[in-house]
Amino acid sequence: MWIKDLLDVSGKELRKTVSDVGVLVFFIVVPLLYPLLYAYLYGREAVHEVPVVAVDDCRSTTSREFLRKSDATPDLKIISYCADMEEARNVIHNHKAYGIIQVPKEFDRTLAEGRQATINLYCDMSGLLYYKAMLSGCTMVSLDMNRDIQMVRLSGMSDREKEVMTMPIENEYVTMFNPANGFQAFLIPAVLILVLQQTLVLGVSMMAGTEHERRRKGELVLGEEYSNPITVLGGKALAYLLVYGFTSTYVLCVVPWLFHMPQLWQLPTLVAFIVPFLLASIFFAISISFFVRDRESCFLLFVFVSVPLIFMSGISWPTSNMPAFWKVFAQIFPSTQAVNGFVRINTAGALLQDVRYESIALWIQTAVYFMTSLFIYERLYRSEKMPGVEFVIAMRTRARKNLREVARDLKEAREEIKEKIEQLKK
Amino acid sequence: MKQGFWALVRREILRMQSRPLYGLSMVFAPLFCFVFFTTLMKEGLPEGLPAGVVDEDNTTVSRSILRNLDSYQQTEIIKQYANFAEAREAMQRNEIYGFFYIPKGTELKASSQQQPVISIYTNATYLIPSSLLYRDMKTMAIMAAAGVGREVLFAKGANLDQAMGFLQPIQMDMHAIGNPWLNYNIYLSNTMLPAVLVLMVLMVTCFSIHTELKDDTAKEWIAMADDNILKAVSAKLFPQTMVFSLMALIYLVLLYGYLGFPAHNGFWPMLLAAEMLILASQGFAVFIASAIPSLRWSLSLCTLWGVLSIPISGFSFPVMGMPEALQALSYLFPLRYYFLIYVDQALNGIPMAYSAWFYSALLVFFILPLVDISLLRKAAHEYTYLP
Repeated sequence: MWIKDLLDVSGKELRKTVSDVGVLVFFIVVPLLYPLLYAYLYGREAVHEVPVVAVDDCRSTTSREFLRKSDATPDLKIISYCADMEEARNVIHNHKAYGIIQVPKEFDRTLAEGRQATINLYCDMSGLLYYKAMLSGCTMVSLDMNRDIQMVRLSGMSDREKEVMTMPIENEYVTMFNPANGFQAFLIPAVLILVLQQTLVLGVSMMAGTEHERRRKGELVLGEEYSNPITVLGGKALAYLLVYGFTSTYVLCVVPWLFHMPQLWQLPTLVAFIVPFLLASIFFAISISFFVRDRESCFLLFVFVSVPLIFMSGISWPTSNMPAFWKVFAQIFPSTQAVNGFVRINTAGALLQDVRYESIALWIQTAVYFMTSLFIYERLYRSEKMPGVEFVIAMRTRARKNLREVARDLKEAREEIKEKIEQLKK
Repeated sequence: MKQGFWALVRREILRMQSRPLYGLSMVFAPLFCFVFFTTLMKEGLPEGLPAGVVDEDNTTVSRSILRNLDSYQQTEIIKQYANFAEAREAMQRNEIYGFFYIPKGTELKASSQQQPVISIYTNATYLIPSSLLYRDMKTMAIMAAAGVGREVLFAKGANLDQAMGFLQPIQMDMHAIGNPWLNYNIYLSNTMLPAVLVLMVLMVTCFSIHTELKDDTAKEWIAMADDNILKAVSAKLFPQTMVFSLMALIYLVLLYGYLGFPAHNGFWPMLLAAEMLILASQGFAVFIASAIPSLRWSLSLCTLWGVLSIPISGFSFPVMGMPEALQALSYLFPLRYYFLIYVDQALNGIPMAYSAWFYSALLVFFILPLVDISLLRKAAHEYTYLP
């Protein structure tokens, strides 16, 4: 019965997983803790109160107002007022501030003449978030002050003219699906998917490496006693799917909940999308685990891949602007589709039909990687490195024969002893 | 059995040659990532990001806004949607990163003194395209609004200078020091490339030391060094240092030579930093390998350190935005210091004295193994491998 064999393999694989601490670390501990660490790291979403210095060469009421208002924004904090640019630069060089707001000498006069006055911002580009904070903080203040200046100037005009002059069209900005417009809601969903795929790859390869080592030493491994490679493959996949059913529930549902991140998914969509992702990842992991020769080399081979993988998903650098080659190359990995699908299901509330492309792609990957892993298993069965069924049966018969011989020897020896004892008695 | 430093070096080279794993992780992995990141972001700043528009007003005013919007370099209006729901669904399908919403009655309100509002929606789950689109769309909205006022001013006989002086009395002039193009390739690759290298150095160093214990060759290894563990380790790591230095040289030439990224203090401070980064990472890995006498656990810790150094070095999300506990932790990562050196030396080009502390910190990582390397000697004599 193949179904009995399949469940049998599954059970043994589960037992092997539980008894191997190294694999348990990948399957349970890393998915348990790593996402928490990441979510904690990006918990504050953005930078606030970026320290900057001010150089006020104008020293007028308006310039002071501008600086005071900038300091009051949540984005910026003026840590010191410097006499000149040289002094300000020195503060930056000593890593105490990340930007300079400089008000030129002619600022007030230019304003009074009714011309456009400029405020200079100098920003340290070691982080784009400093740039963003400075630009948005100062722009907010300038828009606010511009309106006041206009109102004063308009005082001589008629009401009708005033209406036309001050911004006739207002605008508002809505950051959809990421209310805080921050790092956590943007990066964490991608990290979660990647953690699932990569821990599967690492854990499965570690087991494959261990099997390879044992095979090299001539010890037998699980699966050889079953006649059909499909049962072995299916049984293993079932075992991993069971483990990752729990792991992914925690990683994809509990972690975002713990950190109050947006969770707009609908259960049927999420399940229908994550199952092909897990299957694709499992068969992908089994396929590439074939290249692993020993227990620990999975670290060196697969960990670094996570770094390009997160970029391949298009979560950071937009897919629309990737070179065609990388766009195609990214299709090899289940994580690419899964990140895009999950981000939209979880964060943007997409339904299954909205992620149809990703979902179909994952099923295709499942099929392809199932075939490749089956091919590898078939080959393993036939290769000399991994002796097939006949060999196992032969070994078993030989062992039984040996046992029988030993038993016979023992019996003979016992009889001999008995005879000797009787002889001695006589 | 031959003894001494060079015999050990020879032995290590043979060991490295005997397994494709070393070549894959020391040469292929870094090279792949170097090429990947620099070609992925070769545009520097994404252009022509797909966006949409919902024009429920469909009047002269709304159409003039649309015409203006398409003329920005980073935004490309690929489609007009009939209503809000359609545009939102397109965003959920990932066809567009943002859209402009002009509600019905915009022109009517504008002409009847009731300040209409037009809205900018961006999909902030994709942070980079979202912020870039926002910048374009915001400017666009302001310009469109100002457009109406400008026409009135022109009619009154004002010139452009006067008109702008009225519409936008205070303007910002932003100087992005070191990276005026807001080039993402400069922003990310400068730290991402060494980050991958650090990860590989940490893992390979730890792996190569502990495989001696696992394969039961440690006694032979330590005997060849006259039972001197410092000699044994340094001879063992020397060929690896050479290979990794070559990799560092490759990425430095790629970044500052071929791609011409800013290196305001020239090539040498960065070469020094990269070389010290490799030595610091090796030192740190030896420290861990000595402290934890188990291949898997020490390798796990080195891997964790290597992977974690990417976010915690603060090049994409600043350290000052992290929780205090992690801010403190960031001091324990060699990559953090390399990043700070890069900012000073390549991006801002300030005198080397300002970065002296960061160079010294890397040096500390390098000599860190002196604390516990004796444990490794003990392990080499007594240890038995447990899977």
